[in-house]
Amino acid sequence: MMMASMVANGNRDGQALVLTGVDPETCMIVFKNHWAQVVKILEKHDPLRTTNHLVSGLGSIGLSGSHVRFGGPVPGDEASAVQNYVEHMLFLLMEEDAGQAGAMGPILEFVVMENVMERLFLWSLRRQFTDDMKLEQLKMYEMIVGQARQPLLHHKPVLRPLMMLLSSCSGTPTPRVEAELVLLLNQLCCVLAKDPSVLELFFHTSEDQGATNFLIFSLLIPFIHREGQVGQQARDALLLIMSLSAENQRVAQHIAENTYFCPVLATGLSGLYSSLPTKLEVSSEEWHCLHREDWLQMPALVQFLNSLEFCNAVIQVAHPSIRDQLVNYIYNGFLVPVLAPALHKLTLEEVMTTTAYLDLFLRSVSEPALLQTFLTFILLHRHENVHILDTLVSRVNTPFQLGTVSLALFRTLIGLYCEDVMLQLILRYLVPCNHMMLSQRRVVKERDCYSVSAAKILALTPSCCSPEHSPPPLRQLDSILWSKGNESKTEESCLEDGSGHSCIIGSEIYLDVSYLHYLYDARLGISSCIRACRVWSAPYDGEDPPPDEYQASLELEWDDSYDAGPPANAETTAAERPAQPLAPEPPKHIQALRRTATMLVKGSYIEESDFQDDVMVYNLVAKKDVRDTLDGRRSSQETESKGSETESQLNDNGHGFADSSREVQEVPLSNGLSLPLQRATVEVGSDTERSKEVKENIADHNSKVQSPTATDIGDELVAQYEELIRTLGGGEVGAGTEGREPFQNPIVTPTEEDEMDFGSFSVDTPEVDKHAPSLFGTKLRSGSARSQPLPFTGPFVSVLLSRLENMLENSVHVNLLVTGILAQLAAYPQPLLRSFLLNTNMVFQPSVRSLYQVLASLKNQIEQLASTRKDFPELITSAQHCLLARESSLIGHGKTMSSPPQLKTISMARTEVFATVLFTEFLKELAAIAQEHSILSHIPMEE
Amino acid sequence: INPYDYEEQSVQQIAEQQQRASPSRPSFGKKQLPTIPKNTAPITKPASPATTTQSINGTHASYGPFYLEYSLLAEFTLVIKQKLPGIYVQPSYKSALMWFGVIFIRHGLYQDGVFKFTVYIPDNYPDGECPRVVFDIPVFHPLVDPVSGELDVRRAFTKWRRNHNHIWQVLMYARTVFYKINTMEPLNPEAAVLYDKDVQLFKSKVVESVKLCNSHLFDQPKIDDPYAISFSPWNPAVHDEAKERMFTHKRRPEDHHKGLQVSGLSWVKPGSTQPFSKDENSQQS
Repeated sequence: MMMASMVANGNRDGQALVLTGVDPETCMIVFKNHWAQVVKILEKHDPLRTTNHLVSGLGSIGLSGSHVRFGGPVPGDEASAVQNYVEHMLFLLMEEDAGQAGAMGPILEFVVMENVMERLFLWSLRRQFTDDMKLEQLKMYEMIVGQARQPLLHHKPVLRPLMMLLSSCSGTPTPRVEAELVLLLNQLCCVLAKDPSVLELFFHTSEDQGATNFLIFSLLIPFIHREGQVGQQARDALLLIMSLSAENQRVAQHIAENTYFCPVLATGLSGLYSSLPTKLEVSSEEWHCLHREDWLQMPALVQFLNSLEFCNAVIQVAHPSIRDQLVNYIYNGFLVPVLAPALHKLTLEEVMTTTAYLDLFLRSVSEPALLQTFLTFILLHRHENVHILDTLVSRVNTPFQLGTVSLALFRTLIGLYCEDVMLQLILRYLVPCNHMMLSQRRVVKERDCYSVSAAKILALTPSCCSPEHSPPPLRQLDSILWSKGNESKTEESCLEDGSGHSCIIGSEIYLDVSYLHYLYDARLGISSCIRACRVWSAPYDGEDPPPDEYQASLELEWDDSYDAGPPANAETTAAERPAQPLAPEPPKHIQALRRTATMLVKGSYIEESDFQDDVMVYNLVAKKDVRDTLDGRRSSQETESKGSETESQLNDNGHGFADSSREVQEVPLSNGLSLPLQRATVEVGSDTERSKEVKENIADHNSKVQSPTATDIGDELVAQYEELIRTLGGGEVGAGTEGREPFQNPIVTPTEEDEMDFGSFSVDTPEVDKHAPSLFGTKLRSGSARSQPLPFTGPFVSVLLSRLENMLENSVHVNLLVTGILAQLAAYPQPLLRSFLLNTNMVFQPSVRSLYQVLASLKNQIEQLASTRKDFPELITSAQHCLLARESSLIGHGKTMSSPPQLKTISMARTEVFATVLFTEFLKELAAIAQEHSILSHIPMEE
Repeated sequence: INPYDYEEQSVQQIAEQQQRASPSRPSFGKKQLPTIPKNTAPITKPASPATTTQSINGTHASYGPFYLEYSLLAEFTLVIKQKLPGIYVQPSYKSALMWFGVIFIRHGLYQDGVFKFTVYIPDNYPDGECPRVVFDIPVFHPLVDPVSGELDVRRAFTKWRRNHNHIWQVLMYARTVFYKINTMEPLNPEAAVLYDKDVQLFKSKVVESVKLCNSHLFDQPKIDDPYAISFSPWNPAVHDEAKERMFTHKRRPEDHHKGLQVSGLSWVKPGSTQPFSKDENSQQS
């Protein structure tokens, strides 16, 4: 007891002071003296003297925990005498320096020769081997292992009793013993990490004892998932062994082959996961992801994250064989059997909770191999034959909190800068370049030298939100000194008199200062994205990967229930699927998509259970589509279009067919669809066969679309399709914008070329490529297009744009997420993505909806809204103030589950006002990104 | 030492300078609105209907300068990308519309010539006239005005076409005139006549002119601007270290990126569009 308390008090320093002056020989004499006294007492109570019962090391271990007595109790005074002596002896041992050339010091040599440690251990066994005894012994070793000046563990007479003690502590120790045991184990691992040669001894000693385990390791495993300090120490200790394994094949092999380390870790995750709350108590409607403040208050989640973090660390440091095994167990023992079903639970809340967990896990994991495991699960695993990814994408469109949480998950995924994720989400739909007019392929890589796209995006700023309209505190229209080079006259005069060329004049221009911040953010965002994407396998620039090579593969991969129709119509066309022999029933994810889309049907919220009835689903979708088309047509007639009659007609058709959206009225802006007829008709002849086929397809499609409720507009649809066929007939229609937009103007007068006469001019100029005749491509296109479904940019883009389309009805938080994700995507440097999202001059296929189209339609909705409400400007101003206050409160306190009070008080009627403000800010954000792309994407990055 | 290494390097340096020169702003969260002083009551001044917001081309006037600035920045990045041999330019500190430049002539009649010049870009760029190139010292050349030093650029770019014409082409042209002499409609008739009639005399005049230009190389820049190009004699204390840095930087360009934490992920095998198609990832799926 004494020794234990003394050790615990750690009054060793005093002793050390006393010992410093003492010469080693004296120490040795003292030590021997003490030992002689101890031996006297030990022998007096030696059971061998009274009984003939031999206690062998291992035999006694078997008795651990039970109360073993030999020859009656040891008198208290004798026990404490031994303790006193031992205490002094241990200090002498600890303080002894190693001999010359690493030889044992005389005391240690004595300890080894006389087998002191083992005899002391047996002595303590002979007395009542209570928890107190164990603690005493554990602390004794803890002290000498941690503080001895010479390596003690190299010597079997020291190591063996230690191992015996450790194995006597296995089983189910009490918390006190556990804490001490783990501390000692941790200490031993530290020694191992510093001196791996001891490792061999640990293995050998284990073998001597007939145990094949790596005892230290096996003892630690039960504590892997323990919470609190004990768990942490155990995990730290295990990590030390893990990093040892990276160097030591034998340790790695032992752990991988002879221990349950990996399965325990992985199944432990499953166990901990099962104790997580299946439904989160969400404090506010705007909540969409688990922040640190949130999960810190959930002990079960903290514990799970600790273990996940441990897995992450193990994978980081361990030998590849352990890493691979662990990753496999996590995949097959946690993700597939536990997380996958959890993502498909029955209630929305449960699914939402799982999604929030998955998002948190992805944000907590940093080690590429572990991330890869999670991402493989998300991208490739099929649950009930549906990819997890498809399920997750389909949920983005849910009008409930599940949709918002799903959005937050995608924000995390996109923020990983992972090629595989981006490939599956978006790029694989863009690689074939089917989404754009063939002529546009060469535009993909082009950069916007003159900020044309930025200007077009900013031109969508609603008139009620223009910088000139807002009072000073909201828009800082600071006057900035904008220097200009001087006009020629003064400059030349300067040259002549040689009086220094100080011919710079400044002009004051009022600028929207907040735009500078957006530019700065855009610059940061794009640069880090460019840097991160250096590890990608391809530039995705419309040439690599080559579009033509990946036409077919995409078709094979992609479930064609999506392809059968343009994005928003996917649900409609899916209606015909069940009738087809090949697909007797639409896949689950299609059903889910259909369901969520249907739930979006404006104004009609319907209980989930109601969606069991497929017929009703189809009806609802069809109704929505018809109404939207009609709405679109009506509004387009009402709105005065600046374009020619033909053009507007075409636009109208394109939109009505393409995505049944309400954006049709934006005629001059929807450049993707402004296809001059005279050009389009030129090549119809060569493509008649194809046109016919398209016609048939469309007619077929049409008949099915109208069957439920839309018969009344059937004729109109047919007319639209016929227009569409005409435009599709001309593969080269894309060149049509040439006249209006200088960007598209490749013509060079021959005289100019002659005069210039610089061969080098043509090197590397993108403009030159424009001369290349695309007849070739046209042929190819029409050939391959036969088997091609209508162009589609993938479900994710589709779902994202449709959420954006509903911006005016969305809450502030949904809008922040949606626009945030789009801005994230826009910062990617891959030309395919950049051109799709930001190049407002790209001509896309009529069935492809672009970000710009959606923005343009939003602008129109806002203008309409503003014209009907007199108090709109005031509402805008107060919404701006409100958002400003929110911003500063967020900066002040960090993001928490609770929302700033102002936003809670918003009436529903004001949602659109907030949306308008956010829309305006989003335009600036996008324009800034577009501008930064024009100067960043092409510079080789220097730091 | 390959002089081209230096050149390439300096262009990069210039690019870096350019980047550094760009405004450094504090980082803000998304959807940042400018901050207002606290306790300010919302000012609800009714918007005056008189101020129409859309200016020409449907863009807001207040963004115009941004478009110009970025157009010029884009032009500058194009110049860097072209790696024009022997030509360096650097936008001035005070205005993006004025660039300082220098041309090194390596061979031909003007061999060893080092000509400093200034590029003036019209402020309605890219819709205005072509940029002007004015040499600091009027070089003896048929196409260079003997008084103003201005190079006749307009003959090559009769009409400046956005998207088709770029400033690097002007710089390229400025270099080419020294290798391929054109005497048609000269700005310096004397030089033109001499070139056509008495090449020897022309040559000696050129040598004289080159000498003159080079003798003024170390002069203070004609235009007082922090980014004006200035030459100084080799000073080991200053230049040795800079040179050393350039060359070590060049040898290990990858090192700069290793320490950066921002790293993307990819398990896509090059040439494939399948996720997790790299060979090392066979354990799953």
